[in-house]
Amino acid sequence: MSDTIIKASGFGKQYGGQFAVQGLDLEVHRGELYGLIGPDGAGKSSLMKAVAGVLSYEQGQLEVFGQLLDSERHAEAIKGRIGLMPQGLGQNLYGDLSIEENVDFFARLRLVPREEAAARKEQLLAITRLAAFRHRPMKQLSGGMKQKLGLVCTLIHAPQLIILDEPTTGVDPVSRRDFWAILATLIAGQGLTALVSTAYMDEASRFTRMSLLHQGSKLAEGSPAQILQRVPGCIVQCRVQPQLSAMQRLVARWPQCEAMGPEIRLFMPEPDQPAARQQVVDVLQGLECQQLDVLDAELEDVFVAMLGGKQTGTTAPDTMAAPAAPGSASQELAIEAKGLVKRFGDFVAVGDVSFQVRQGEIFGLLGANGAGKTTAIKMLTGILPPSSGSGRVAGADMKQAGALIKSRIGYMSQAFSLYLDLSVVENIRLYAGIYGLDRKARDVRLQWILDMAGLHGHENDLAAALPMGLRQRLALGCALVHQPRVLFLDEPTSGVDPLGRRAFWDILFRLSRQDGVAMLVTTHYMSEAEHCDHLALMFAGRVVADASPQQMKQQVLAEAGQLYRVYADNAAALVSPLQAAGFANVSPYGSALHVLTPDVERLQQVLRGLGVERPPQARPIAMEDVFVQRVSQLEAQSHATGSVA
Amino acid sequence: MKAEWQLAWRRFAVMLMKELKQLGRDRVLLAFIVYAFTADIFLAASGVSLSLNHAATLVQDLDRSPQSRELLSRFQQPYFRIDGTVGQDAAALAALDQGRAMLVLSVPPQFGRDLANGQPTSLAMQVDTTNSVLGFLATSHAQQIVSQYGLESAMQRLGMGEAATRNLPQVQNDIRVWYNPNQEDSWFMGISEMLNIATVFAVLLPAAAMVREKERGTVEQLIVSPLSPFGILLPKVVSMTGVILCGVALSLFLVLIPVFVIPVKGSLLLFFALSGLYVFTTAGLGLFAATIARNLAQAGMLSILILAPMLFLSGAWTPPEAMPGWLRGLMFASPLHYYLDIAFGILLKGQGLADLQSAILGMGGIGVLVFGAGLLLFRRQFD
Repeated sequence: MSDTIIKASGFGKQYGGQFAVQGLDLEVHRGELYGLIGPDGAGKSSLMKAVAGVLSYEQGQLEVFGQLLDSERHAEAIKGRIGLMPQGLGQNLYGDLSIEENVDFFARLRLVPREEAAARKEQLLAITRLAAFRHRPMKQLSGGMKQKLGLVCTLIHAPQLIILDEPTTGVDPVSRRDFWAILATLIAGQGLTALVSTAYMDEASRFTRMSLLHQGSKLAEGSPAQILQRVPGCIVQCRVQPQLSAMQRLVARWPQCEAMGPEIRLFMPEPDQPAARQQVVDVLQGLECQQLDVLDAELEDVFVAMLGGKQTGTTAPDTMAAPAAPGSASQELAIEAKGLVKRFGDFVAVGDVSFQVRQGEIFGLLGANGAGKTTAIKMLTGILPPSSGSGRVAGADMKQAGALIKSRIGYMSQAFSLYLDLSVVENIRLYAGIYGLDRKARDVRLQWILDMAGLHGHENDLAAALPMGLRQRLALGCALVHQPRVLFLDEPTSGVDPLGRRAFWDILFRLSRQDGVAMLVTTHYMSEAEHCDHLALMFAGRVVADASPQQMKQQVLAEAGQLYRVYADNAAALVSPLQAAGFANVSPYGSALHVLTPDVERLQQVLRGLGVERPPQARPIAMEDVFVQRVSQLEAQSHATGSVA
Repeated sequence: MKAEWQLAWRRFAVMLMKELKQLGRDRVLLAFIVYAFTADIFLAASGVSLSLNHAATLVQDLDRSPQSRELLSRFQQPYFRIDGTVGQDAAALAALDQGRAMLVLSVPPQFGRDLANGQPTSLAMQVDTTNSVLGFLATSHAQQIVSQYGLESAMQRLGMGEAATRNLPQVQNDIRVWYNPNQEDSWFMGISEMLNIATVFAVLLPAAAMVREKERGTVEQLIVSPLSPFGILLPKVVSMTGVILCGVALSLFLVLIPVFVIPVKGSLLLFFALSGLYVFTTAGLGLFAATIARNLAQAGMLSILILAPMLFLSGAWTPPEAMPGWLRGLMFASPLHYYLDIAFGILLKGQGLADLQSAILGMGGIGVLVFGAGLLLFRRQFD
């Protein structure tokens, strides 16, 4: 490693007497893509702003480019060499200005000489493939394009260090992957150093090195491989009948255990894979084991293990109210959509959508922003009348009995729709009243929700004072106050740390298996899509794939081949030669590449030609790969037919 | 059927409690409401005055005769305050320009001699009429003083003493002041400020309560619940109406009655009942603002846009008869106009239901229209 760009020692930042970050040591070297990983409130933004010289700090020392940032004047001295992209989609851009005007504005603001700015603008717009849209106002861009434009504006004055605060939050998987590829190209080609934060754990492997932050302090630091070695272990994934009893046995032994649709996935601190397999087989004695795979652990598993996987199984009570058909999904339909169409004027937001969700099934609705997910949910929850088509939800007809549907379903929105200035109990009582529960029923449900969400001891806290994970479970509780048989969850896990997310999914699993509640979930976290029993993928208002996660993966395997991981020192630089050699699905991951191909021999051949001797390693395909593969295909098709601009 | 009502009542009750709790926890807003209904009304009633008080006056006496001194000495407090003398015209103008004086009285040389000789003479008065009302008042007061002096000196010259004046065939104007015998500005200003504040909050509070739910995203949760749009709105409007009525009570019983001794001639019950009707219906305008606005700042700006013409066209500043025809027409569309008539009628004149019939009908009619339109708009945004 050459010279140090950022050096923090004992760094701490206080807000009103409370430390957001405390005693943090960190070093970032030239040319690194350095990641700060952690949930909301871990202290990522505070550190990044301090490094950019726009936030003062109380504790320790912070050096950037060898300059100690201890005063306004010293911070000013390094700002010319730094580019900062704040959190939020297009937050630093001007909505009414076009792409080109935004770039020009930042160039002038940074006093970049006119000719130099023009040349760099063309180069950056070409790399980000925004040149074709240069006259489009920023506010009309998609989330992914906004972030690319943000990146261009951050780079226009040729900084040596760029600081990107959660650049991929709220961006769909395809654009996210595109963004990472562009970033890798820029870093490799322009000698940049980047400090990037993310809340998506599955993006961790894209960094050269990273720090995992939790509640203001550092849990681990290193390259992905180094961090994986911190907690040696492996993953066992199995399909066992009946799932619920298998789950109970496994959790008792290995708490870091979660249900993925019909499968169970667990992390075991046992690096020897055959031994791990044997241990699981022993525990599952007497149950019908249909399938059992042992895999390498992922970064997220290790993070969760480090965060203290002990508390994964929350205090969810084993006996929940209204036990319905136990075990797998029953045949009773909870949601049935038949040819739903919604038009707004000439614009078709949803065109001919049909699917079915059975009682006790977790159904995932995936799709990029603007694919029509929200409109579909709005029609099914009775908020929006469909232009045509029909549907039944919770046994009531969508067109005639909107009011009846509303009283039978639960709904949890992305914003956790809680009243932050009301206490936990007041929130629950409010929703109980709205759904017409009488005092006795209300008190029973209140206890149930407090048990389910693990909120005892917080009864009189204001919702605003709760950490995100608890807030999310309170919102779930409020949505369940009237014991609905159908539950709609619209991106229910944004902003929650991985532990909280796991606990949340654990509750959803129990609800579906023990109480037979049907759930329709939308999510941006592709790793979460694997928790669903069934998935529907929406694109441009239509359902383009409707199958179980396993089926979807197998389909992609059959069409596009196996996923391989290629290790190379100059990984990012290999992307374009590989693409030129006909490998369409190449994506940089830190010091490695992921390539999807049916022909591994040819890949090996091409790699040898490029000077890479290490053979590619086969890897299990992830839901994100499926999503990106499917959507890129569809985008290519619609570009070819010219039906979508 | 009974169960339906019970359910609706339960929903209404929990939503109402929720609104009140939320408002109760918003310390800043609460402090603002209390300030507006007490201190602000106190300031308006004691500070704002439409009469001429201590107008800064400079004199330029170029005559220095007994006559000029006699005339100038009649410019007295409380209307005029002689701040000193100026020598030259330029100095007088400068004093006006710089705002040191509102009035400059210039007595020409030979003023006294001309009067004594029975020659007509004149006096120059320069008035700063930047504030047209005060300028007008200053002019007319000064005119009165000068003409009285002119009359007296003419009589004197004719050899008639002061006693003779009474025997002249003069027309006396006998004034009977009703409803506000001491012509206290504080009564008018205090009450109309209270009504204005009630109007401002009647628009602002429901708008803020609604937009906050939009911003937080909680409105989505309410819409997917069995609550109807009306069921979401009604508790908000009712609770905010209650809060505003409490504010009106606060300003009446803490400020207007004890400090400014406003007589409550009519029925307080009737006053509060009609205030309730007014605030409730005016909330429709707030709903309108909340429907269009996306956040609190936008809702606030829209409310100001709605309120400004409403307040100016209310008749508090200018009676309808004094307005140009087309504005007068608009005025009858402002519910505040009727509410002013009702409030002054009950509080100062002691009017009852019978006297206020047409005003109540006007206010109620427009109110129902406004509220209905607000509700319709609000519902439509979710379809």
